[in-house]
Amino acid sequence: MANKIPPLRAQDKLVFLLALVPYLMDRDRVSVAEAAKHFGVPEQQIREAVRLIAVSGIPGETATYQAGDLFDIAWDDFEDNDQIVLTQLVAIDDSPRFSAREASALIAGLQYLSSLPEHADREAIATLTSKLSRGASAAPTAVAVESSALDETLALIRESVAAGTQIEFDYRNSRGESERRRIDPLRVESVDADWYVRGWCHSREDVRTFRLDRISQPAMTTEAITHTAGDVNLPETLFDTSDEDIEVGIEVVPSAIGLLGDYVADDAPRVAARDRVRTTVRVPHFHGLKRLISGLPGVVTVVSPPEAREAVARWAQAGAEQYAEEQ
Amino acid sequence: MPAPKVPNEERLFSLVLALLSTENGLTKSEILSTVQGYRQRFVHSGDNANLERQFERDKDDIRELGVPLETIEPPEQAGNNQNLRYRIPRVDYELPDDIAFSAEESTLLGLAAMVWREGSLSEGSRRAIVKLRSLGIETAEPVLSYAPQVRVRDEAFEPLREAMDRRVLVNFEYLKPGEQTSTTRLVAPLALVQHQGRWHLYAKDPATDTFKTFLLRRMVSGIQRTKKTFDYPTDNATAQALAGLEEVWQSNVALLRVEPGTDAATRLGKRRGAVMHPDCRLEVNFTDLNIFADELASFGPEVVAISPPALRSAVIERLTRTVADHG
Repeated sequence: MANKIPPLRAQDKLVFLLALVPYLMDRDRVSVAEAAKHFGVPEQQIREAVRLIAVSGIPGETATYQAGDLFDIAWDDFEDNDQIVLTQLVAIDDSPRFSAREASALIAGLQYLSSLPEHADREAIATLTSKLSRGASAAPTAVAVESSALDETLALIRESVAAGTQIEFDYRNSRGESERRRIDPLRVESVDADWYVRGWCHSREDVRTFRLDRISQPAMTTEAITHTAGDVNLPETLFDTSDEDIEVGIEVVPSAIGLLGDYVADDAPRVAARDRVRTTVRVPHFHGLKRLISGLPGVVTVVSPPEAREAVARWAQAGAEQYAEEQ
Repeated sequence: MPAPKVPNEERLFSLVLALLSTENGLTKSEILSTVQGYRQRFVHSGDNANLERQFERDKDDIRELGVPLETIEPPEQAGNNQNLRYRIPRVDYELPDDIAFSAEESTLLGLAAMVWREGSLSEGSRRAIVKLRSLGIETAEPVLSYAPQVRVRDEAFEPLREAMDRRVLVNFEYLKPGEQTSTTRLVAPLALVQHQGRWHLYAKDPATDTFKTFLLRRMVSGIQRTKKTFDYPTDNATAQALAGLEEVWQSNVALLRVEPGTDAATRLGKRRGAVMHPDCRLEVNFTDLNIFADELASFGPEVVAISPPALRSAVIERLTRTVADHG
């Protein structure tokens, strides 16, 4: 997945150098292309790092960086064949430990994912966690994420991908309509405690996103899949957007903007209005909007268009009336 | 003639190599006068104040990566800063030999790192993966493609995490639900945990010697770090924090009436531990009454909270508020 890669800082470059040296030491010879693929970086980054390593070393007895105190590589192999061969080593023997922060990030991530079907073996997670703690240079910071509560749907999705067959299920959309859908699962995504599957929907002939907790009666089919993750370009944002989306003006308490997540586009205008921020969200219809706004009472108000305000008011009013009837 | 500029990463790399290679440590003046990147700017018998400041920053940068840069004070010359010696003990720098990862484990760790692709833990998880690649393990392609994500959007997260690393008490203003004014808290931060999609701080109140859990989003001021350190054990802090929240979740049971065939019926019915009775009454556990009331309000007329009474009135209050805001 194409994540935004921030420019490398000197610290990141240092980590890369300290990691690359032991990798090269373990291999008599490796091509620039293979090393780049292994680390998931551009080939140019490998070449620049190797050039730097090849002239680096320790001040040594003379404190003047004599040849014997420096790394060296087989230059001809490197310049002519794009092959890396370390011919002289200095100072470094092994891979570096994780920092407390690095280890804690991985441990918390593992814990969050511990209910995935991949993690059927609970002991494996405990073993990995202990390896990370022992492999850290200081006690990992105490950060943890509750393991997600996932039902059998995800296991079935995984099974269907492994078998290469379509999966079908009842799906109730935000309008409240339920429909049997048949998809080729492409990717499982999550945001905090919410899980989604993105797939090629045979009913819509397009990529669609489904909330796992809105799926019921899932079942594998015998129909072969026609699309795989490799040949479909999945949009970065989880929500399917279209040109026909309606633009809705809202006023939101500044601290609550984060709660709206991807609903507010990065390029949406943000104007201060008294103690609120005025901005816009784009929605395909008001069914999702009325739920979103009613779930953030007092912190977000719809200001335009009037139909959107009305849809929210009617939804909340219908809810309130349920209680009035009961009295 | 100005000295040629040595790139920052080359200076940092050379410093690590030099300090790894010394048994007894190097003094600051030895480092500044001989190590690549410093020596070019070193003025013999002159003022090196800028260079010394550079060295201080470099030490911090290197330590932040989990490299154990040690300071040794020769016993016979205690108190004399100029005679401090610096080194990186190999045994604390290198990943222990017995720590190895299988291809499957490497895949899981890759997923765990992906969880933090935005926010303050993303840098650490990225660096951890570079170090993991250093070991040369091939990564197994997962059967199903995943893009998991945990968001850290609370501004309080990073300052609290740093205070945890430094083991110092923190001050903040906390607004309890239902109260109009916040109160100042002074606590020892022990763990940060995400439960039901919300970040919580697990802390010890030194005044009462009791453990408390705070929602990050109710911290209405910035986090003030104090100089007071604490030495409470934090080994089991995350487990204790999650167990405490789980206990609260267990003890809070709501009785709801859900409209059959609606989004509320599907999603609330799929909650962990939810019990559906034949008369459409649903028993569901919850952790925080106010957060749960927000969620129930979003379902509008699809659900009615029957009990507890406080939850019921909280939902009514929210729905009424939304109607009033959109009238």
